[in-house]
Order: sequence, then C-alpha cells, then structure tokens
Amino acid sequence: MNQTAVTWSQPTPSRSAIESLVQEGRVHSRVYTDQAIFDLELERIFHTAWVYIGHDSELPKIGDYQTRQMGRTPVVMVRGKDKQVRVLINRCRHRGATVVETECGNTKLLRCWYHGWVYELDGSLREVPEPGGYGPDFKCEKMGLSQVPRVASHRGFIFASLQPEGESLTEFLGGAAEQFDMLVNASPTGEIFLDAGVNKTEYRGNWKLVGMDGYHPNFVHASVVAGWARNSESGIGAMHREDPFSDAALTLTRDLGHGHAMLDFRAQRLKSYSKHADFLAKVPGGVQYVEDMHKAYGKSQAELLLSLSGDPHLGVFPNLQLIGNQVRIIVPVAPGVTQVLMFMVRLGGVSDEINTMRVRQHESFYGPAGSGSPDDAEIFERVQTGMQAEFNPWIEISRGMHREYTDTDGSVVGRITDEVPQRGQMKHWLHLMTQAT
Amino acid sequence: MDRETLLTQWAELREVEIFLYREAELADTHQYQEWFKLFTEDLLYWVPSNSDASEVGKQIALINDNRPELDERLFRLGTKHAHAQSPKSRLSRVVTNIVLGEDWQGAVGGTVSSRVLVTEVRKGKTLHLAGRVVHVLARQNGALRMKEKRVYLAANDEVLPNLTFII
Repeated sequence: MNQTAVTWSQPTPSRSAIESLVQEGRVHSRVYTDQAIFDLELERIFHTAWVYIGHDSELPKIGDYQTRQMGRTPVVMVRGKDKQVRVLINRCRHRGATVVETECGNTKLLRCWYHGWVYELDGSLREVPEPGGYGPDFKCEKMGLSQVPRVASHRGFIFASLQPEGESLTEFLGGAAEQFDMLVNASPTGEIFLDAGVNKTEYRGNWKLVGMDGYHPNFVHASVVAGWARNSESGIGAMHREDPFSDAALTLTRDLGHGHAMLDFRAQRLKSYSKHADFLAKVPGGVQYVEDMHKAYGKSQAELLLSLSGDPHLGVFPNLQLIGNQVRIIVPVAPGVTQVLMFMVRLGGVSDEINTMRVRQHESFYGPAGSGSPDDAEIFERVQTGMQAEFNPWIEISRGMHREYTDTDGSVVGRITDEVPQRGQMKHWLHLMTQAT
Repeated sequence: MDRETLLTQWAELREVEIFLYREAELADTHQYQEWFKLFTEDLLYWVPSNSDASEVGKQIALINDNRPELDERLFRLGTKHAHAQSPKSRLSRVVTNIVLGEDWQGAVGGTVSSRVLVTEVRKGKTLHLAGRVVHVLARQNGALRMKEKRVYLAANDEVLPNLTFII
C-alpha cells in the first residue's frame, strides 16, 4: 500500500506566465486580483518561506498559547513545560478538528473535544479514549500534533517555516535584522512587551498593498496633516516633524533585499532630536527615560533611538511590519481580502506615563476608528476595485528608478517618495513565486 | 422599587431618554459640532478594544478621546479629505434598555446605561454594531451634558472594518 498520498493541485500559472506579470518598473494587476496567483502565493510564500508568528512576550508563562495563521494553516504558538516555545499545527491527528479553539489563553493540556484526544503542551499525544480500539501498530508517540518543522527567533520575534529545509532565519532577515534593534532598544532595558492590546482590522484589498510607501501620506492622510497644522505634536505628529514626506527631506526609502524594505527616518528624525527630547520631558518620567537611554546606549545611539521612538518603519516580507508603536501581522484571506493585526508595544524600563503617551499616539492614528489606518484601507479598496480593469492593466512602480543607488551595506536607496520598496518587494515576490518546487 | 419612586423617576427617565435620542440623532446625521456641544468641558469618549475590562490608557482602545483629541477627531471628519468617510456612512441607530444608575440624582446627574444597535451602510456593505453604552451625565445650567460616553461593543475583540463614524 502506498504510504504517501499523491499531492495534486489546480493547474498553476506557468513560470513564464508569472514572469510576464512583473516587468521593469511595472506590475500587472493580476498579481493582486487573480485567485490562481493568490493560491500559489499561499503555497510558495506562506507555506514555504519564514513567516512571523508572534513575540516571546505574548507567552510569559508555561501553558500560554496564541493561535495564528500561516497561509491556510492554523497554528498554535505555545510555551511548553520546558519553557520552549513551539509552533504546532492546530489540527487533531485523529479527524482534523482544531484542538485549540480560543484565540489565546493558558492551558495545561491541549484537548480535542471531538473524540477526546489529549496532547501535551509539546504536542505529544498523551492519551486517547478507549485505546483498545486501535491495533498494536498504533503508537501514541507517532500521533502527536504536527510540529512546524522550523522555528527560530530574533530578539524575541518568533518566525516559523513549514519547509523542513532552507535558508536560516539569519540569512532570511539579512540587513533587516539590525533594524529590530531600533524598536527593542527604544527600551533602556532592551525589553518590549506585546501585552497592551491588539487592533484587528480588515480591508477589501490585496495583502501586498499594505507596504512601505512614503509618497502617499500628504494625500491619503491629508486630513491628519491638516490637523498637525493646528497642533504639531498631536497624535503621531510628534514623530513626524518638518514634513518628512517631501523629496527635500533627509528621509529615504530602502530596499534591504529579500522583499524587506523600510522608510528610513533615522537622519530626518535625528535632526529634530532636541525637540523630541523636549516633548518627552513634558511627560512624567520622560527626563528619566532620556537619562536611562543615555546610560544604556551612549549619547549618539541614545539620541538616534529616542528620535526614532521605536519606529524602524520596517516591512519584513511577507507578513511582519514594525511601524509606529506597534508590531503588525498581515494575514492574507483572499485575493481581495486582508486582515491586519496591530499589536501595541509596551516598553520595559520606562514610566507608565511614557507608555500611556505611546498608547494614545497609537490610538489617534491606527486601528479601525483611528485617523490614519481607515483612510489607508479606504484607498486600498479603491485600488482593488480599479485593478479589476484589465484594459491597460499595468501598475506603475518606476518612480525613482533613475536616481536610486546601492549603499555600502548593499541596500538600494531612494528618496522618500520613490518606489524603491515596491520594486524590492516585487523582485523578491517573483523570486519566490518562480522557485522550482 | 415602590410605585411612588417609580413614578417620580419616570419623569427623569423621560428627560434622559429625550437627551439620548437627541444624541443619537446628531451622531447618525454627522452633525459633529452640535454633537460635540453635548459634552461637558472635561470629557471622555471611550470605546475599548479587545475586552470590556480593558483599562483606559493601559490597553489600546478603539477610541480614547479627551477634549482636545475629540476636537481633533471631529475637525478631521469635517475636512474634505477624511477618505474613509467619503462617501459618508449612512447611519441608523436604536437606543434602548435605558436604566438610571444607582448614583442617579435628578439635580446633579449620574450614570445611565443603555443598549445601542448601530446600523451602518456604506459602499454596498451593511454593518451592525451592537453594544452597551454607559453615559455619565451632568446637569449644567439646568441642561444635561455628557461627561463620559463609554461604548462596549459586543464585537470589540473581533476583526473590525472602518469605524470612522461616531459610535
């Protein structure tokens, strides 16, 4: 008898068909609208590459768990009795029901309530009811919950890959790895906690639309920018001083390879360091925060970290973004439906008032009732509708091609309004989508 | 509650009811500045996220506005470039189960709880948002004003779409 089932799938677009969709400076809208392309993305990107699962701080205690999604695959991230974090496939080995039903919580055992199979926190099968019903070949040790084969973490950020072999997490993150420091080291103790709530939002548009774009803020967020004219420090205005979104600004776009990209605010924000320090000084504990940062990281690094406010504005392809005061997970649902989960970051080693100020900054702009995210979502929905037109189906992403350059670290750099991130994302997308399988 | 107290309170309940219906009407019709006038100087407009038990300022809320923040929200909605309200949501809400809190004193005000069902229609999609609302009302110069409006949406831990209208 055959031990393995023959896998089969719908006819998939050929390599040359996929290649024809991504051209120099332009992309075919089918990349965002086509069901066959979407199905292939789940298979070749979300079921293959490293994807972000969650942060170590979400599981402080043994038995803490969070359910997540890797493409179509429901998974559960759980801290075992040995304190290790595992990523298990949330599917009973018996008849396929999800074993963990609630989104998060704490448990001693993982129990499937269909027929009562019970698993340990490490996924191993502890017992089945009426074990006499199985023959001598049935071995509990072979019927544990499936482990996602590769799990690795960087500065507390846990990634997993459903592919048993492949590049390491370090190779995958490449130049993006050091940008995580810009977030984690915004804490003088180098500790962040994702325990201050999550916005769960959805828009009717493709998952790749939520990228790194420095050309849109003055238009999509015109109403917010108008508000900053009344009070420059309201909401996230305190982060964005002196119009960082004009070509005259020191702000840059940066393609870090592997589809990872950032809006590089470092030089621009550092220029306004003293204003930012004054802003922090008005918050109880702010002066102490500035002092502690200097002690922990030295003057020049502390000034950079404080200016950035823990916002590397980094996109890690395919599903993680470190933006503002949040960690974001992008969840593809359908070609035209995407969920964005926004986890508030609480900094360790700072006063409650500093964290409350950061919560309020987040609340003002992000989330479904914020002043910013819903306008982004609205525009993505307009894009998704417009892209249904296949008469002249090309999306133009050539902006800045004539002026981009390669930096000493190998990253490709453009002005803030340039489409360097979009090109970097599509280049890597094409690479993953046309990999030999 | 004896019949006499009930009848005394009925008039006060009616006054609160009329206030809440007016508030609902102004919210439904996007009369932002008129709605804003229903608040006291010191105010909280709070719609928690994830859990009804979440704490103001500790966990992120869907809405967490004091006076300057609410002023900014309404200013922004009043500009021509609040895209998520262009076109505007069409709103129709039902306010019901109004109960005066134990702290209620006709001359001063107090807590009022109610239930709301907001129906939003926009761009081919209909959304129903149900929730419990807690108003803290204060009597100022004879009239009732909102000191706090807290809305505990039944869906506050669900995946949510655009909520850029007054809830």
